[in-house]
Amino acid sequence: MIRHIIRKEFTDVVRDGRFRWCSILVGSLLLVSLGHGWVESQRVQRERQAAQATAREHWEGQGEKNPHSAAHYGIYAFKPRLALSFVDDGVDPYAGTSVWLEAHRQNDFMLRPAQDASAAQRIGALTAAQVLQHLVPLLIILLTFGALAGERERGTLRQLLATGVGRRELATGKALGLSGALALLLVPAAAVGAAALVVATPGPAASPLARGAVLAGIYLVYFGAFLALSLAVSAWARSARTALVVLLAVWVVNGFVAPRVAVDLSKWLHPTPSALQFARTMEQDLGSGVDGIAPPDRAAITQALLEEHGVDSVQALPVNETGIYLQESEEFSNQIFDRNYGALWDTFERQTVVHEAVAAAAPLLAVRALSMGLAGTDVEQHRHFATAAETYRREMVLLMNNDMAMNSRSGDFTYAAGRELWEEVPPLDYAAPGMGWVLGNRVLSLIVLAAWLGGAILVARARVQRAEVG
Amino acid sequence: MQNGESRAGHAPLLEARGLSKNYGDTRALDGLDLTIAPGEVYCLLGPNGAGKTTTINLFLGFVAPSGGQALVSGLDVATHDRETKQRLAYIPEQVMLYRNLSGLENLEYFAALGGRGSLGRERLTEILVEAGLERDAVDRRVSEYSKGMRQKVGIAIAIAKEADALLLDEPTSGLDPKASNEFSALVERLRGRGVGVLMATHDLFRAKDTGTRVGIMRYGRLVTELSTDEIGHADLERIYLEHMHD
Repeated sequence: MIRHIIRKEFTDVVRDGRFRWCSILVGSLLLVSLGHGWVESQRVQRERQAAQATAREHWEGQGEKNPHSAAHYGIYAFKPRLALSFVDDGVDPYAGTSVWLEAHRQNDFMLRPAQDASAAQRIGALTAAQVLQHLVPLLIILLTFGALAGERERGTLRQLLATGVGRRELATGKALGLSGALALLLVPAAAVGAAALVVATPGPAASPLARGAVLAGIYLVYFGAFLALSLAVSAWARSARTALVVLLAVWVVNGFVAPRVAVDLSKWLHPTPSALQFARTMEQDLGSGVDGIAPPDRAAITQALLEEHGVDSVQALPVNETGIYLQESEEFSNQIFDRNYGALWDTFERQTVVHEAVAAAAPLLAVRALSMGLAGTDVEQHRHFATAAETYRREMVLLMNNDMAMNSRSGDFTYAAGRELWEEVPPLDYAAPGMGWVLGNRVLSLIVLAAWLGGAILVARARVQRAEVG
Repeated sequence: MQNGESRAGHAPLLEARGLSKNYGDTRALDGLDLTIAPGEVYCLLGPNGAGKTTTINLFLGFVAPSGGQALVSGLDVATHDRETKQRLAYIPEQVMLYRNLSGLENLEYFAALGGRGSLGRERLTEILVEAGLERDAVDRRVSEYSKGMRQKVGIAIAIAKEADALLLDEPTSGLDPKASNEFSALVERLRGRGVGVLMATHDLFRAKDTGTRVGIMRYGRLVTELSTDEIGHADLERIYLEHMHD
């Protein structure tokens, strides 16, 4: 019996001009956003590779100079994009994509597209993720609000139930029939997405197709939750108009109110310092130390070296005392960076947990966190790359300072190293975290999203069973 | 008459035993007792709010009784929801169909839900024609149908179901006289096949013409029951009006 309901719902919806126009609109936006995202992603990837190669050439071709000067000369690191990032650019436009690695400093990321965009561009930027997170649920609402309320209003529900069909069978058949109609829109988009993944530059993470499949599954759960919720409201509401108004209110809260509330609530619960305040604290800590992290005592370092080597002047040391001191300074500043940046990142992550918790009221927040995670554009993966870049910077500076300390003498400012040393610094070979790591970070979102689906189905079952015939 | 057995001596297809329904403080139906045997057409007459539609809703299981029982072929509607519905066909005052589907597709759908999914398109087309729909209209979308045409699809749905009993709620309301006559003829044919019919109506003429028995309801109670063989049109009108006066 249920196949007859599915077939009828599918036929009825597909023949409905309103569905056709809405689907064409949403489908076009989805395909355009996927296409634009992919083209943009490929362009950024090419530019990144070219810029990274240029930066490498500059590093290796910087000529002969003191190694510590080379450490100041520094090198750029560019955050590679995962293949799936064309679906969801996440925090990348705001967090930046490249960082200058130099001695003494852990610099902020640069090249933030959002900084260069006008207000209109920021609002108008449409990614496939936004279409999937906002517009597809709206289409589901428009398809579903009258599923039961409309039947009741028209009087067809009485006739249907008089045939002996069960209410649950009817609702299940309707859900599957409507899903079939939605599949006409989503399956081609998924096929285009999969094809784009196959031909895309793979990026620094394995199995982009597997990530794509998991992402598709997550969006299906999200759409399923919306479908069940819409059916529940349609079964509960006295009229199709009431169902539509309630569902549009849910859509607005989910898509616009809850994300804003999550941002404000997370900032209130876990405030972050302003950029100016953060810079001042950093400067202060680097100047005088903090909480047991003290700046290196040059006199003590010198004395220890003299004692270690049994000499009475720095000129007599077999090592360059300045190089040793510079590295000690580096170790000190690294502790300050770890302390301040670590606290900042931890705050960001605590804020993310608040966002995930608010998802209990709005599933968009859960699906957004998972979408960014799988696309490799969330805060955690930004931190992962920033940590890798910082580790690389420290190794580079250590190599330079050690070379200076071991191969020159104190007071010798003429010592210069060359290409051979610069080539000892390997290119940054960044491996993005695997899918298990990503999903492990997003367990709360997975639970919340699953709870939304399960809860919506249970509510729909209960409401459908109690729906008035009219 | 024995409880559970109709005048004609057959086991009743439809039976109400002390059937009552309250909506809050309002008593919509008050201890209704009636039986309808195969081949009987029982017309419920009465003003709006008399309890006619409530009676039909109780037989369809759309509302739960506050007291008594509604039985279909001896099965209690309250405990055998699906089984009783499978034995019933229902035609409302305004048959509502799916505008984006043709008359034939609508019939196919309702027939399948009623357990007659095996009927082929040819047979269903015959049924639509038997119900009075023009052959060239069966494949047209219902959005182009008149009320009379939709009503005929409703009748076709009932015929296709081959139900034991038929529940009709003001089925000729808004139909032109020709369509009403065709409808009466169709009910007569179904009666001849042994279908038991319960029809709620305001139309005294149609009740006398189509029914075998007439029950007059007021304030949720069955105030009198008449055999249409024993009275004329004028008698029925007189008796009806007498019962409508306080």
